[in-house]
Amino acid sequence: MGKMRDKLKQYLKPGYYEKYDYHWGMTIDLDRCTGCEACVVACQAENNLPIVGEKRFKERREIKWLRVERYWEGEYPNIKLRFIPMLCQHCDQAPCETPCPVAATYHNQDGLNTQIYNRCIGTRTCAVYCPYEVRYFNWFTYKWDEPLEQQLNPDVTVREKGVMEKCTFCIQRIRQAKDHAKDDGRRRVRDGEVTPACVQSCPTKAMVFGDLNDPNSRVSKMYKNPRGYKVLEELNTLPKIVYLKKADSDV
Amino acid sequence: MSDYREPTYAEVNRDILRTLLETGSRYWIVFGITATIAIVCFYIPWIYQWHVGLGASGQSRSDVWGTYLSNFIFWIGLSHSGTLLSAVLHITRSGWRKAIYRSAEAMTLFSLMTAAFFVLIHLGRVWFVHWSVPVPNQMGLWPNFRSPLLFDVMAITTYLTASSIFIYMGSVPDYAAVRDASTGLRRRLYTIFSFGWRGTAREWHTLGWAYTFFAVFVIPLAVSVHSIVSWDFAMSLVPGLHHTIFAPYFVCGAIYSGTAGIVTVMYLLRRCLNLERYIREIHLDNLGKLLIALSLIWAYINILELFTGWYSGSSFQYEALTYKLFGYYAPLYWEMILFCAFIPQLIFWKKIRSSWNIMFVISILINIGMLTERFLIVSTSLPRKFLPNAFGFYFPSLVEISITIGSFALFATLFLIFIKWTPCVSIYEVKETLKPLRRVE
Amino acid sequence: MAKNIMALFQYQDDFLNAARKLKASGFDRISLMTPIPMHDAEKIAGLDKSPVRRFSLIGAILGGLSGFAMATACALVFILPTGGRAIITFPPFLVISYEMTILIGVLSTLLGFHIVSGLPAWRDKPYRMETSIDRFSLVVGFDPDDDPALAEKIMRDAGAEKIIQVEKPE
Repeated sequence: MGKMRDKLKQYLKPGYYEKYDYHWGMTIDLDRCTGCEACVVACQAENNLPIVGEKRFKERREIKWLRVERYWEGEYPNIKLRFIPMLCQHCDQAPCETPCPVAATYHNQDGLNTQIYNRCIGTRTCAVYCPYEVRYFNWFTYKWDEPLEQQLNPDVTVREKGVMEKCTFCIQRIRQAKDHAKDDGRRRVRDGEVTPACVQSCPTKAMVFGDLNDPNSRVSKMYKNPRGYKVLEELNTLPKIVYLKKADSDV
Repeated sequence: MSDYREPTYAEVNRDILRTLLETGSRYWIVFGITATIAIVCFYIPWIYQWHVGLGASGQSRSDVWGTYLSNFIFWIGLSHSGTLLSAVLHITRSGWRKAIYRSAEAMTLFSLMTAAFFVLIHLGRVWFVHWSVPVPNQMGLWPNFRSPLLFDVMAITTYLTASSIFIYMGSVPDYAAVRDASTGLRRRLYTIFSFGWRGTAREWHTLGWAYTFFAVFVIPLAVSVHSIVSWDFAMSLVPGLHHTIFAPYFVCGAIYSGTAGIVTVMYLLRRCLNLERYIREIHLDNLGKLLIALSLIWAYINILELFTGWYSGSSFQYEALTYKLFGYYAPLYWEMILFCAFIPQLIFWKKIRSSWNIMFVISILINIGMLTERFLIVSTSLPRKFLPNAFGFYFPSLVEISITIGSFALFATLFLIFIKWTPCVSIYEVKETLKPLRRVE
Repeated sequence: MAKNIMALFQYQDDFLNAARKLKASGFDRISLMTPIPMHDAEKIAGLDKSPVRRFSLIGAILGGLSGFAMATACALVFILPTGGRAIITFPPFLVISYEMTILIGVLSTLLGFHIVSGLPAWRDKPYRMETSIDRFSLVVGFDPDDDPALAEKIMRDAGAEKIIQVEKPE
């Protein structure tokens, strides 16, 4: 009975997301980012993202779970180029999760914002509700020409038309790391054991990924960096990616 | 009209049943045209889209919602006046309701069906639409009742059920009249439709009570339906959509466009079915007054939306407003303001209010304006949300335009079937408004 | 089995007078059929408040409760946290129960209508087609101690247009 009461209390109150097993987070140091887009390519290769072609790209129907946004600042000749890699922020209060009528997107036990492709019916409401525009819809069923289908990642599904998809923080790698930890008889994954494709491929090591529940992890330490900020924090979506501000030498 | 003579009871039956029982070649020609357009412009593009994927539409990354959803709002809106108005006027015992309510309710029912089609067209994987309904399944998964879209599913199912019951129950005595006037298969069918109605005191009494309760249920329902439709938008964080004013704005807009739709339908029924003796100036006059009131409320809410958006000083809001007022779709915005806020003010003149032709034109202009309004809601706010890098631009594709046109034909086809199935003017309630048959005056 | 007598009236005041007189003379098994709803006829038939309203009320209450219960049950069967909201979330579930209140309310009112009115009733009953156009008809059934001739006389005096003997049971 007491257990029931505890459970009910838990169900009636939000905030359970703070008690997840893991709380995966990321920091991106914009001072180190050169905008080389290696992360974009790595993501494309890892997650079986379709190459949509020039025509579809012009129609803005490309699928890039991670994109590098470019912003120009100032007028020529005092012009500056800013980069900001934009990917799913895995918000703790994700505005995209509530409106899905079939619960195809929800928060899993790791505090990740997940997308269940099989369950998606394609209302695209999540994409409307997402302020970061990081949800990508499969407008068509895309094909991989021979022999390109050989390079598809067997750990990741290939999505069909009418399905929404987005960055998963390479959930297949997290899964794998957890399995390894279990095989080794460890309770938890060690820091640095999981690296999403983008983090792995970053030549300047601008991205750091890890467990926020572990106070000694690299990402937890980077989180406390005074340069850190979150994108569109004022919307109270509680995003889990912290960007470290570019330190301008000429300010 | 001074030369107006009240029809007798028998004449009411004859005049109205004639529209049902006698079918001329003109009907079949019109029906053939609308049905063909519905198939060619509505179903064939839909099947094509089903085959290739939603890429057949003009929607893209940031503007993931397009005309399918805006047309859905439009049709739901058009459905709003019929049943709601009929229920309100029934409860307030307004006599002028009786000649027009049946066709107004039919408009509700069929525009709701058209709207439901748009939900299906809108879905990326329509073949899994049953997942959004709480039915037991082998996966043990249930829909997410926290979603505004699921409110929509519930609201539209309820609305469709309630308004079909409302119109059907109101027509039962008339089905009995059709049964008595016909022979053969039709007689047998209408015997079933009319439940064996004889018009005994107990039957009338029960129907009256039940009908009033249906009306009582339908009024809060209709208000909730369009509020919920507005929440699909207002519950998001999108600047330009995330307004508290949205629910009343949508409800008011819906009743507005629905009332204009009733005027259009009345005009056509009156012309094509020779119902001049039943659909009369008083109806036009009252509907006209309602239109003025609604256009003023609608204009007020529009001004308020601009005012609060500007006053908030939020850069996102400001950007959304500027794009709406002066961006690519600005001509459409000002067209909407002209058609829905300025032109309806002409109805203040009695002369205009009593002219069927002018009112017909105004009612169509209002609905063009309302169609535009719904289009602007999706096309000006969604492509410009927060991150400028993701700004897009939305223009409907041929498939979408064709389906939009086809939806009107679909609605017309359904309505044409209806007028041959149910008396489009309520026989018994028109008789109620006539002078009672008394020996002693 | 005594025959029923059916009378057709052209005027509603004649019809109501006849019905009132029959009632006063002790004929209880009369049914009044009219082309339009008439309050006076309902009063003569002894109908006041319809039990349909009970169906509406009970249906609405049950609907509201079941709506909330359904939403809660669906959320608890498979716990899928979304958007940092609670699992049992009141505001949205109240919207669901609002809609269910109306849905079940309407359906049970419909059920109530069918139960109370006795429809659908497709078996053959005394009925004349004119009733759905412009005639008011009265059917009198007789108990063994009633006098059919008296009833016929009352109706004829009241101004019945036509009086017919019908075999069909009411």
